[in-house]
Amino acid sequence: MIESIVSTGVAIGCIYALIGITYNVMFSASRVFSFTAGTLGMLGGVLGALFIAQMGVPLIAGFLLVLAAGAVFGIVTEIVAVRPVLKSLDQHLYVLSTLALALMVQQFTAIEWGTESRPFPRLFDIARSDFDQEFWLPMLACAAVIIGLELLYRFTLVGRAFLAISEDNYAARALGLPERGLRMASFALAGMIGALAGFAGGEMLLAFFGNAPILTFYGFVPVALGGMGNNRGAVVAGLLLGLFQQAANFLVGGIFASVAVFTVFIIVLLARPEGLAGASLQRRV
Amino acid sequence: MPITRRQALGSAGAAIAASTLAKPAIAVNDPIRVGYLPALTGPSSSTGIGINRGIQLAVQEINAAGGINGRQIELITRDTQSDPTKAVNGAAELSHGQNVSVVFGPVNSGESLAVVPLLARTNTPQVHPCWVDTLTDPQKYPMCFRNAPTNQQIGAAANRYVVEVLKRKKVAVISDTTGYGTASVNAYVPMLQGKGAEVVYQGNVDAANPDLKPELLRMQSAGAEAIMPWSVNAGFLSRIINTRGNMGWDVPIVGQTTLGSGQTKALLEKPEYWAKVYPNNFRNVCYGQGGKLPERTTAFVDRLKSAKIDMGDTLLWWIALGYDSPRMIADAMKAIGPEPQQIVGYLNKLKGFPGVYGDISFSPDRHNGYPDEEVVMVEANSLKDGAFNLAPGYSS
Repeated sequence: MIESIVSTGVAIGCIYALIGITYNVMFSASRVFSFTAGTLGMLGGVLGALFIAQMGVPLIAGFLLVLAAGAVFGIVTEIVAVRPVLKSLDQHLYVLSTLALALMVQQFTAIEWGTESRPFPRLFDIARSDFDQEFWLPMLACAAVIIGLELLYRFTLVGRAFLAISEDNYAARALGLPERGLRMASFALAGMIGALAGFAGGEMLLAFFGNAPILTFYGFVPVALGGMGNNRGAVVAGLLLGLFQQAANFLVGGIFASVAVFTVFIIVLLARPEGLAGASLQRRV
Repeated sequence: MPITRRQALGSAGAAIAASTLAKPAIAVNDPIRVGYLPALTGPSSSTGIGINRGIQLAVQEINAAGGINGRQIELITRDTQSDPTKAVNGAAELSHGQNVSVVFGPVNSGESLAVVPLLARTNTPQVHPCWVDTLTDPQKYPMCFRNAPTNQQIGAAANRYVVEVLKRKKVAVISDTTGYGTASVNAYVPMLQGKGAEVVYQGNVDAANPDLKPELLRMQSAGAEAIMPWSVNAGFLSRIINTRGNMGWDVPIVGQTTLGSGQTKALLEKPEYWAKVYPNNFRNVCYGQGGKLPERTTAFVDRLKSAKIDMGDTLLWWIALGYDSPRMIADAMKAIGPEPQQIVGYLNKLKGFPGVYGDISFSPDRHNGYPDEEVVMVEANSLKDGAFNLAPGYSS
């Protein structure tokens, strides 16, 4: 039982953490929570199955195509659903615009791909085991993204520019940074991370249009618990969420597992509204 | 402006003249219009595509043989696109705009739930194959008939198989959290208990839950001797089958037809995991002992082959159901006429219409025409040309 809780819990937690990072990367560049993050995860699984299993594209090429599709969807999200509402952030219109785009893509996928789960290809031809690739692939993807983002933000000019606009986009613009271009690049990067989450978790979640709302929902929990814009917090909270959810599956089971997860979520937010790793905002009075 | 006596008399005369003009006579050779509401596109279209193959063949055969007393059948088709709203629009157009004699369909329950009350209000005879129990009611919908089983019959057949044929007394019943899943569990658990079985596990689980091992371990520790999943979600069903296989648990899985679908098969980790999985099906379209179909069905399959109709990518019972429906309606029209009341009067007394899919009978109080005993269980891993072998324990 413990092995199953750990392997499945950590794997699913890594997928939630990656979706949480997708939210954060988009948030850092625009101060917008784009609810297309779960849709990106769903597309990663569906497009992976489409390219590799159905169209016979080789693994590496199929993987790169999925990342490219994620980047394109990220850019489309920025142009269609985020940019038009940036001037009225205080009205939170982005909730409607990003949700509408997510629903449109989800319904389009249901019509074109079908409403049934379809198999995601086994990426490596190795025998099944207790610690199967369906568990370690999301862990590997999560580790790669954390390390990649750290390297990007610490050691590259573009990464520092991302940080600059996330800290203060007015000041960044005043210094001559191309804010719009950096925002689009951030959405493209977020798109790739979201698609990677779905691709790495495809063997576990299958290629299913209905994964979009689930990932949108559960992927937001690490953001809320870990602190908005805080990637390390999202990873820790995502892993805790996955482990707790899997433990609840074993201990209470059925639909009560979800009830248990959200009961704890609400209690944590009541105790620490800024999230477990978030800092409380100072407000000038 | 005041109306003069002359104007009033003139208007009255014109009105009388108009009302006494003869209505245009319907030419005796005009085609008989039959409305048809399949889902040929959209997410729930696989059933409609299969049924459509049978419908088209039947109408071709009827018309080639001279039609209905010399009149051809004109099938007026409106694709519902798997969308209840479009199904309602199609039904309204068929009954008001096209003046069809009868409507067959919709072929999915979600669409029928919207269409049945509408066609009842327009007094249009309707035949549909949808399983939701409330979709026939001779009091509320006196012109609506079902030539397929109800959900109650589907559940009862599975329960009979588990308790009476497999002799399993401790049963685990699981469903997803959809309306269909939860309603099925609520309906079938008391039926099982009424048959003397002990339901040792009962649960509803989110269909997207990627790990069902906790649920199956709970069933195993409760001593379950059979698992009965109720869901139309291939992902959910395949996870149950895969988890059972990975646990090395030799317990039969008995339930809904989707257990035997190609989508479920595609999601299995190993083909051998499909053994001891028994979905619902229908006796007349199943292979019996010696791998033979019943005589009537063999002749039908030969006709399908000669018409070059593909059976490999669909299910035989869908094609058979489609084939039977216009033939049953045509029989009614041949015997008594194409007017709505005539069709309903005939169907209310129908006894043992010899369909390929099943023998259909109705009465004024019973508009569910499919016989209980023809709902059976089959071996999921025996699919060949759209049909399955009867599950172990049935006589041919």
